[in-house]
Amino acid sequence: MSNEEPKGLKAWLLTTDHKKIAILYLYTAAVFFIVALLLAVLMRTELLTSDKLIFGPKLYNVFFTIHGAAMVLFWMIPVLLGFFANYLIPLMIGARDVAFPRLNSLSYWFYAASGVIAVLGLLLPGRLDIGWTGYPPYSITTEANTALYIFAVHLLGASSIGGAVNFITTIITMRAPGMTWGRLNLAVWGFFGAFIIQLIGVPVLAAAVTLLLFDRYLGTNFYDAAQGGSPVLYQHLFWFYAHPAVYVVALPVFGIVSEIISTFSRKKVFGYTSMVVAIMIITVLGFETWIHHLYVAGVANWSRVIFMWATILIGVPTGIKIFNWLATLHKGSIRLTTPMLYALGFISLFTIGGVTGIANGLLGFDIHVHDTHWVVAHFHYVLALSMTMLCIGGVYFWFPKMTGRMYNENMGKLAFWITLLGSLVAFMPHFKLGLDGIPRRYWSIPEVYSSMMIISTIFSYIAIAGFILAIYNLIVSAINGEKAGDNPWRAKSLEWSIPSPPPFYNFEKIPVIEEGPYEYGKPGS
Amino acid sequence: MSSENALHHEHEHHEVELSVWPLVIGLASLLIPFAFMAAFQWSSPVIGLLLTGVSVVLLLIGCFGWASEVYSKNQDVGLSKIAILIFIISEILLFGGLFGGYFYNMLPAEVWPPANTPDHVPPLGLALFLSIFLLSSSGTIHVAEMKLEKGDMGGFKGWLCLTIILGLLFIIGQAKEWAGLIGEGFTVSTNAFGTFFFTITGFHGSHVIVGLILQIFVLLLGSRITKKSHTIVKATGYYWHFVDGIWLLVLSLMYILPYYGI
Ligand code: HEM
Ligand SMILES: [Cu+2]
Repeated sequence: MSNEEPKGLKAWLLTTDHKKIAILYLYTAAVFFIVALLLAVLMRTELLTSDKLIFGPKLYNVFFTIHGAAMVLFWMIPVLLGFFANYLIPLMIGARDVAFPRLNSLSYWFYAASGVIAVLGLLLPGRLDIGWTGYPPYSITTEANTALYIFAVHLLGASSIGGAVNFITTIITMRAPGMTWGRLNLAVWGFFGAFIIQLIGVPVLAAAVTLLLFDRYLGTNFYDAAQGGSPVLYQHLFWFYAHPAVYVVALPVFGIVSEIISTFSRKKVFGYTSMVVAIMIITVLGFETWIHHLYVAGVANWSRVIFMWATILIGVPTGIKIFNWLATLHKGSIRLTTPMLYALGFISLFTIGGVTGIANGLLGFDIHVHDTHWVVAHFHYVLALSMTMLCIGGVYFWFPKMTGRMYNENMGKLAFWITLLGSLVAFMPHFKLGLDGIPRRYWSIPEVYSSMMIISTIFSYIAIAGFILAIYNLIVSAINGEKAGDNPWRAKSLEWSIPSPPPFYNFEKIPVIEEGPYEYGKPGS
Repeated sequence: MSSENALHHEHEHHEVELSVWPLVIGLASLLIPFAFMAAFQWSSPVIGLLLTGVSVVLLLIGCFGWASEVYSKNQDVGLSKIAILIFIISEILLFGGLFGGYFYNMLPAEVWPPANTPDHVPPLGLALFLSIFLLSSSGTIHVAEMKLEKGDMGGFKGWLCLTIILGLLFIIGQAKEWAGLIGEGFTVSTNAFGTFFFTITGFHGSHVIVGLILQIFVLLLGSRITKKSHTIVKATGYYWHFVDGIWLLVLSLMYILPYYGI
């Protein structure tokens, strides 16, 4: 027994410490993020002209497949539930680690194994060209190595279910004395909702792709209409998880926004209870909307109408959250630090995306824009760019806690503005393309749109440059940033009460909690 | 719950934990896709088999290393009871997805099972007979737990062995059923019913096997299981009851209803 912390590669690879595992997740997810950004650069460059510029249709299909899969499955979800949740939950609930530290490490290794398989999908012959959705019959008849896609999903699924079981158990059983449900950070609530969705949704996705595997390689007939099966069944099973997966990303993001906004307004989050209720409503309602992805797949009319209403209904709790954030900002003493800028940037992009989402949800409208570039624009605003930006803001926010150092504030702000500018403009042309009925997933866009395509490509480069600058700043600052002290934001939440970086046992003594995490504006604060 | 949680006890010293076993199991899992692709995508089944073998060996090493680490450090803090219940929710959804898919194909069909299904499929009689084994094993594992609570270790082991035997009989019976059906030409490729029949009974059977492995593992733990340290027994029990419950669904939906042409 000792208080010494081991160093070196072994200490990382064999670690069961939730903070180290979290950082492994962050590094790995960042690698996938950068690879996916490079693929976006390639795609956007190809789209500059309507003729073949560098690689043409076959590789374009591979690139959007890997770009989409890497961004959603290997960047967004792991960075939120692997990195943020892992790092923050024990610190925020006052625990020394998670309920099952070895299982936590195993989840990471499943994720890493899945990542290896996904990268092979890009490199090995039989490159994946089935879209990140992997719809049959194409995924069954293609020459591509569909098995890579399926096993990547399986391993990731094992990782996610392990994580969900681990963290739900942790949150239920390991809260410090006095840490009641009503005193949990909203981030913890967001993670909690997200893990519930993972627990319920991932097995169904696993079932969907397992059946795909059987159809492709073992001669079953699940998705084969000629034999009494149905390809639409896959779409149902897939979206039963993949729509809620949006909330797997969104709920933690909402939580992190609340942390940042409260800290830099020095105000209690407005409407804590309604925030929690909204999170739980979204967790449940999220499973009632998947058919909006099947509006044109030949499903029954009554189901389209029911799911349209459920889809629109989910706008209500989401709207409540936006309202509460604005109310929290109101009359706060606002500090526009880099994380705060990202949080505000998130709210604005997300609002654009959210409004177009309501439009998408409307049956009549969606039949028109289904599978067009409207959808590409919509989800890049509502999910892809807005939430990625917020993730980066979150890393900036807890950077001093993790490293004990301060990032470069000016470079951080500059990177933010560059990304915001790029993101705002880059996907606007896609709305127009979509309204004109131009389908997504084509390597060549008609000549008449060429000026728009040039604008879109240039601003995409700008957005990506901003991301890279933001990451560069973090790397450099981690090495030689100024010492930050334990609580540079003077935040009230529990994780700021311990040293930076935290010792591996987190808390010298398990704390006794006497108030919530947002008690600003009291004497002595 | 939290009061019995060792992590909440205040230690003078804090110990860093390193464990190699998750990495070993992770490696084992990485080999499975390669094994599968070798066999099916790159048509070299020998390499596929070889890789499967290596993977299984690694998996076993990993699991036993892991377990002995946990028990040698006395880290059973009682949380796996809750964890297994949470995990079972996930398992229920897995079967939910499969049954959902089954209904999706079955409900709109005019004739079910499809016309080219052989007459004696599904073999209801055998299934009902096998149910006796599986359902009574839920009772025997419960008795085993009660014996353990009373501190009767001999009785505990005896009843646990009986449970394992009943489970094994079920699996053997099901393997015979499958062999018979396939021998008569009813396979996964026959039609949508064949596809779902083998998949759903197969998924269930694999869960029975996992349950059996857990029970055998408990048996091997031997004297490390005591009246006080028995979380794993409880967890195994919950899992076994779940596997039984799912069987009732499988029996009704895949045997009884199709038998009557529904
Ligand atoms: C500035 C950054 C980005 C650029 C320039 C970009 C660009 C693109 C392009 C050109 C496509 C293909 C559209 C088509 O032809 O249908 C695409 C698809 C996609 N992107 Fe992005 N993207 C960016 C960031 C992201 C991020 C952060 C996410 C993540 C969450 C994301 C998720 C997706 C998904 C899911 C698809 C659909 C793939 C498919 O159709 O299978 N993108 N993106
Ligand atoms: Cu959706």
